Amino acid sequence: MTITLPGTAPLPKRKTRRARRRFNFDTSLGRAVLQAAAVIGFFALWEIGVRAGWISAFLVGSPFGIFADGSKMLMSGDLVSDTWYTLFEAILGFVIGTIFGSLLGLALWYSAFVARLVEPFIVAINSVPKIALAPIVVLWFGTGLVSKVMLSVSLTAIVALIAAYQAAKDADVDLQSLMISMGADKHQVFFKAVVPSTLPSIIATFRINIGFGLVGAVVGEFISSQRGLGHLIYTASSLYDLNTVWVGLFTLMIMGFVLYYVIDIIERTSLPWKQSNTVHQVQV
Amino acid sequence: MQPSPIQLSVRNVRKSFHGKAGEVRVLDDLSFDINARDFVSIIGPSGCGKTTIFNVIAGLIEPDSGSMHYLGEEIDSLRGRVGYMMQKDLLFPWRTVLGNVLLGLETRGVDRVEAEGKAREYLKGFGLAGFENAYPKTLSGGMRQRVALIRTLIMDPDILLLDEPFSALDYQTRLYLEGVLKDAVETYHKTVILVTHDIDEAVALSKRVVVLSGRPARVKIVHDIDISASSPIAARSDSRFSGYFHALCAELDIQTEKTA
Ligand SMILES: Nc1ncnc2c1ncn2[C@@H]1O[C@H](COP(=O)(O)OP(=O)(O)O)[C@@H](O)[C@H]1O
Ligand SMILES: [Mg+2]
Repeated sequence: MTITLPGTAPLPKRKTRRARRRFNFDTSLGRAVLQAAAVIGFFALWEIGVRAGWISAFLVGSPFGIFADGSKMLMSGDLVSDTWYTLFEAILGFVIGTIFGSLLGLALWYSAFVARLVEPFIVAINSVPKIALAPIVVLWFGTGLVSKVMLSVSLTAIVALIAAYQAAKDADVDLQSLMISMGADKHQVFFKAVVPSTLPSIIATFRINIGFGLVGAVVGEFISSQRGLGHLIYTASSLYDLNTVWVGLFTLMIMGFVLYYVIDIIERTSLPWKQSNTVHQVQV
Repeated sequence: MQPSPIQLSVRNVRKSFHGKAGEVRVLDDLSFDINARDFVSIIGPSGCGKTTIFNVIAGLIEPDSGSMHYLGEEIDSLRGRVGYMMQKDLLFPWRTVLGNVLLGLETRGVDRVEAEGKAREYLKGFGLAGFENAYPKTLSGGMRQRVALIRTLIMDPDILLLDEPFSALDYQTRLYLEGVLKDAVETYHKTVILVTHDIDEAVALSKRVVVLSGRPARVKIVHDIDISASSPIAARSDSRFSGYFHALCAELDIQTEKTA
């Protein structure tokens, strides 16, 4: 017996494979090649533009000039010491600000009354551009290391505070109820149920805050300082020494880049229970 | 009435919530008794206040009025003495299986070494040896609920409050866990109050079934279940099973007609 189906639509045909295998650029090597090509192309165009007189070397500097200046500063050790100084300020500010802010944010969980009381103040403080505080901070804490660290702290602490407070408020109430039914007191609920559930949010602020740490350090150095990359950039630009400015900027960029990946590693290794061993991505 | 002594008695408990739509009376003059070593199931329309009863007993919310007595002694609640298990397994995702099982003992300040020994023993007894260091998200739903059951039992609670503990599981896993629960209750001599929307489950597991009316919750009728089967699966093939099942269905059906 044969069964004929009434006019069914044909199934989509399997796509015929392309005869020639093309080079797949979406691999780590492929991407690295493209990225390197983009960087080299950018600097080459810049250098050519300067040499051909299309753009002014006085206003934008030139790649070869930057390279020459940079290697000279590297040899003399000035660049290294400035880099360490700024890095130290940024990390110190980041660590102090994040710890201080997170602890304060978590502590607000303890009293809903106090939290509601201070909430508008937190919002107010958060809405002030903290960079505007820089001159006062320098006035209060001097032209040395402390003022830069304090500026970084003021930038990072508020971010950590808000994230920690919000995460503590959002902590699963059922887990807390379960602990209470077991006879846990408030401290036990706090340390065993609330704090661990806020850690992902707090760690997520590291990424933003390491950047803010650097901003605080560099802006502090702009205002007044004897050392650091901010100082280097500021003094060089007042002398129209654009190549040196670029050396400082590129060093900051590399520093931010490295810090970003360090944070990334911390993020990925600090919460083993969050790790998934499979990658899900929808192909569109 | 059975001769066994009353372990927990709930008397005239009232509770209302004040929501956006005004006052909602959830428990209105609710009274019932739980005997020692009882296995009581509570069934009733959803939203009638079953979870609220548990929250009152566990001391998570305070009733507006009414009283509770434990072995004749007046108490505020059984906070710290109940084993409360909810529909969600509520495992702490950042704790391993072992860490989750240890939660209650840690809270009580039991010596770490002693607690861990006990926890490993329980895990082995429930077929979870080898999973001590696994995180909850790597486990199946049935295993997670088994961990939650161990976490509850290891505290040696006076009464187990089980709020639809198996409702999120598939039928096979549910049948299996019903057996695990029944065995555990007999091994550790526990008193159980089980909230379920599964009449089948209520009849197969319980000694008594309390049927609640719609909100505000009142005890409509209490059915004694007289099936002495060795397991919940065997209970389902008992000759009296379908009689109880249909009687309870009828109780609930009448209500659904009324409230509909
Ligand atoms: N914290 C609360 N605030 C306001 N209303 C609540 C609260 N808890 C429960 N209710 C209401 O009380 C009623 C009974 O809830 P619940 O005890 O969870 O019912 P059940 O467990 O029987 O399904 C529901 O209508 C619910 O909306
Ligand atoms: Mg419920």
